[in-house]
Amino acid sequence: MSAEAVGQAIAGVLSRIAGAGELQGLTRLTGGATKATWSFDWVGRGGERQSLILQQTAARAAPSGEGGKSAPKLTGGEDAQLMIAAREAGIPAPRVLHVLAPGDGLGEGYVTERVEGETLGKRVVGDAAFAVVRPCLAAQCGEILAAIHNLPAARVPFLAQLTVAEELSIYAGLLAPYGFVHPALSYAIRWMGERLPPDDRAGVVHADFRTGNLIVHPRDGIRCVLDWEISRIGDPMHDLGVLCMRSWRFGGKGECGGFGSREDLYAAYEKASGRSVDPERVRFWEAFSNLKWAIACVRRGSSRGADGRPAGVELAAIGRRLEEPLWDFMALAGARS
Amino acid sequence: MPAFVPSAATLLQAAADDLERDVLPALSGLPRYRVRIVLNVLRLVTRELEQAPQADAAERERLLQLLGESGVTLPELRADLAARIERGELALDDPALVAHLTAGLREALAIDSPGWTHER
Repeated sequence: MSAEAVGQAIAGVLSRIAGAGELQGLTRLTGGATKATWSFDWVGRGGERQSLILQQTAARAAPSGEGGKSAPKLTGGEDAQLMIAAREAGIPAPRVLHVLAPGDGLGEGYVTERVEGETLGKRVVGDAAFAVVRPCLAAQCGEILAAIHNLPAARVPFLAQLTVAEELSIYAGLLAPYGFVHPALSYAIRWMGERLPPDDRAGVVHADFRTGNLIVHPRDGIRCVLDWEISRIGDPMHDLGVLCMRSWRFGGKGECGGFGSREDLYAAYEKASGRSVDPERVRFWEAFSNLKWAIACVRRGSSRGADGRPAGVELAAIGRRLEEPLWDFMALAGARS
Repeated sequence: MPAFVPSAATLLQAAADDLERDVLPALSGLPRYRVRIVLNVLRLVTRELEQAPQADAAERERLLQLLGESGVTLPELRADLAARIERGELALDDPALVAHLTAGLREALAIDSPGWTHER
């Protein structure tokens, strides 16, 4: 959608939900390679200003045939419900003001309050402005993850529950349409398949909780957790594995998110959750998450627009990051010294 | 290939240098972000033009050692290795297999993400 079309539609929505006012500073943010995020202000007649975000989520692809399970992907409405439940539990999720309806003319998605802070991984792990708060972030992550994993599943009944075997077969299956052959990918898929742990723990898992999806403030640390759309019910150690992936450290020091230590993360998590951390299980999920990121690189790198042309340089170039997670996978698998 | 002058790699390098020196500083916001990605892509393709022939030859040599004369082209050899891994015909801790995969990733990273193999 053009900025003009989005501006007209969102002004219509805001005048209905927030009263008459004026749209100011509509800007498409750089983040979000597969969906559109817009920042804007709504200024009411009396001059009161609301800083807001419009998130247009990608329409959900038709479920695969044969009644088979597919990769978890929440609709805009479900995504919003999960964030509302998270906020009720004291988790810093975006505050939802409006869930987009078909009549809004903006597709699926929602409007949330804008939270001031930094999301760019490179700045969070490297800028001097965050030097004071950086040592606190790993423990903060542990506490927030503990709260997410303890969310009552009954509150979010739309979340899919996957066994680890289902998860592997679903994500490996995503490669099938591409006819892309890479022996290191074949190696990683077989390695995971031979080491599946038992499905002995289940909680709400965010599955994309990492540097880049956290809004960090120089004084308060983590103010908001973003990108809830692939959440599911699963093994809580999954989230700890994602957070420690090297791909999401943005060159920063510290195996936790590029800003902290595993020890700080694990200790805060255990204290807040009452669950013990199983480092071997975290390592399994870190390896698995590297495989999943490698598969995502193949898919994004191969993406095409409706006209058959490559879908844009940002997506296309992600294909060339494929070897980063595969390299790290080999180390986590203990194959590469 | 015709006797081009300058080479494709040289042309790309000149284009990338111009973009970085003269265009990037004038931009901000989304256009700046996009041009930065374009610049990275130009640098990457330049490295590919320079390094891919050697990397392909090295990979083919290793695959022939590992598999015997199982295919003619590099894609055929690669597909054969992938299929043998998937069928369980090679042990995952086979040192020759691990060494081959590691070398291939190292060569690809030298083009796609130089530096990734040095960290950690």
